[in-house]
Amino acid sequence: MRDDLSRHAAVLQGAGFILALLVAWEITSALGWLRPHSFPPPSRIAQGAWELAVRGFPEGVRVWTHALATLRRIFSGFVLAMVLAIPSGILIGASQTLDRLTHPVITFARSVATLSLLPLVIVWFGTGELSKTLLIAYGCFWVMLSNVIAGVKYVDPTLIRAARTMDTPGSEIFTRIVLPAALPRIFAGARTALGVGFMVIVGAEMIGTIEGLGALIMEARTFYRTDVTIVGMMLLGVMGVVFAIGMEALERRLLPWHRGLSEVRR
Amino acid sequence: MNPRAADALLGLGGILIVLAGWELVARSGVVSQSVFPPPIHAMVIGLRKVPLPDLGGHVWISLQRIAFGFSAGALLGVVIAVAGGWYRVFGNLVRPVVEMLRPIPPLAWIPMAIVWFGLGEPSKVFVIFLGAFFPVLTNTWKGMSNIDATLLRAGQTMGLSGPELLIKVAIPATLPDIATGLRIGWGLAFGVLVAAELIAAESGLGYMIMHARQLGEVEVIILGILVIGAANLVTDWLLARVLANWLGKWQDTTRAE
Repeated sequence: MRDDLSRHAAVLQGAGFILALLVAWEITSALGWLRPHSFPPPSRIAQGAWELAVRGFPEGVRVWTHALATLRRIFSGFVLAMVLAIPSGILIGASQTLDRLTHPVITFARSVATLSLLPLVIVWFGTGELSKTLLIAYGCFWVMLSNVIAGVKYVDPTLIRAARTMDTPGSEIFTRIVLPAALPRIFAGARTALGVGFMVIVGAEMIGTIEGLGALIMEARTFYRTDVTIVGMMLLGVMGVVFAIGMEALERRLLPWHRGLSEVRR
Repeated sequence: MNPRAADALLGLGGILIVLAGWELVARSGVVSQSVFPPPIHAMVIGLRKVPLPDLGGHVWISLQRIAFGFSAGALLGVVIAVAGGWYRVFGNLVRPVVEMLRPIPPLAWIPMAIVWFGLGEPSKVFVIFLGAFFPVLTNTWKGMSNIDATLLRAGQTMGLSGPELLIKVAIPATLPDIATGLRIGWGLAFGVLVAAELIAAESGLGYMIMHARQLGEVEVIILGILVIGAANLVTDWLLARVLANWLGKWQDTTRAE
């Protein structure tokens, strides 16, 4: 009961504070204390959002086009990374020799900042869609791979021994014990990878395109439309949250036996 | 052979296999060597085009930017999270604002960073700051809200209260989470470096490789990518060592008392 009360109080205080900030922002802008170009007031941002939805920015490229382009790129890179990382991770995690052989290479590849590959993929594949997809795939792949390896590697040996004493064949040990035990970690990896995708895409879209939210926010700034920039930033944030929540829901549906394992630290 | 030596040997073997594969593909002539140079060749040519002192200068500038942005982000992140986790009203007010801003990718702030801070150093440092700030803040906050209540009660029975309880019990109990946040924050600071150095830079590793792209110097790009990876790896290892040392010391002193 007291907990409920204090939670209500917390929500009220938080919402009230945000509201107060927005009002103060609007008033100080109206008084001319904040430069509208540096800090476009909420009303201006709302107008920008409306314009982006109806007329588009640049004219004709509406907000849905930008958001879809960004999502499509993240999605294709993410899926490519999954398809490659899950089988190779299982293979490496299952074999001690392979794991020891690949460990330093994987550690180094993960340390390579994904965006530092931007100039290289541009030289190799141009500034088109392929480059963006590959960049996102690179970022997602190594996060995913480490998590899959860890998931398979750290399956409780007691489980496997128990299955052996019951004369379970190897293939069945794999499908019925190793895989289910590794899935939570694989999911955790997928969640982290998605976050990486959202981070990399903004950098990738700053070059060679006018479609996508990353392109939108840069383009809007050059035209002194910071209100549109802020709308784009907010959209990126909202999309990130929606997908993170969606992944969690999916995990709860698919893995009812396991709750919230935090990912391998990056 | 002891297992650690075997690990190292096998790991080295893995690296050699990758390098040899790279060398073979590059020499096979499937792709032109000017686009896909073999590794050693790339290093040699890369270092000829950007001699060691110049390369060192770029590394130094980049590390400085990361150090500034990271320190500012880590400091502010810890301060806000500790205050928010300890003083309930402050926490209630600040948490929602943080949660609204946190999902925005650090790189998405680049245009506003340019508007607010211009094209100079501060805008680059600001983007790196954001990369470090949020992970440090959320991990510290998590630690602050998961402090074992027994510890706090024990502190209170020993006559501690208010700020003293915070400094002597709550913050030390949160240190492991702060350490986690610092390492994640350091990694992200490196992750955003290149994009931050796309903002009208004239120095730094990010500038070096983007400039090399305009000149078509693939060797310099590859050299730069490897140097960025190595710098990240080495500094992360150092940070891990420092943090382990620091945490170890604290744990030892609590035991001694």
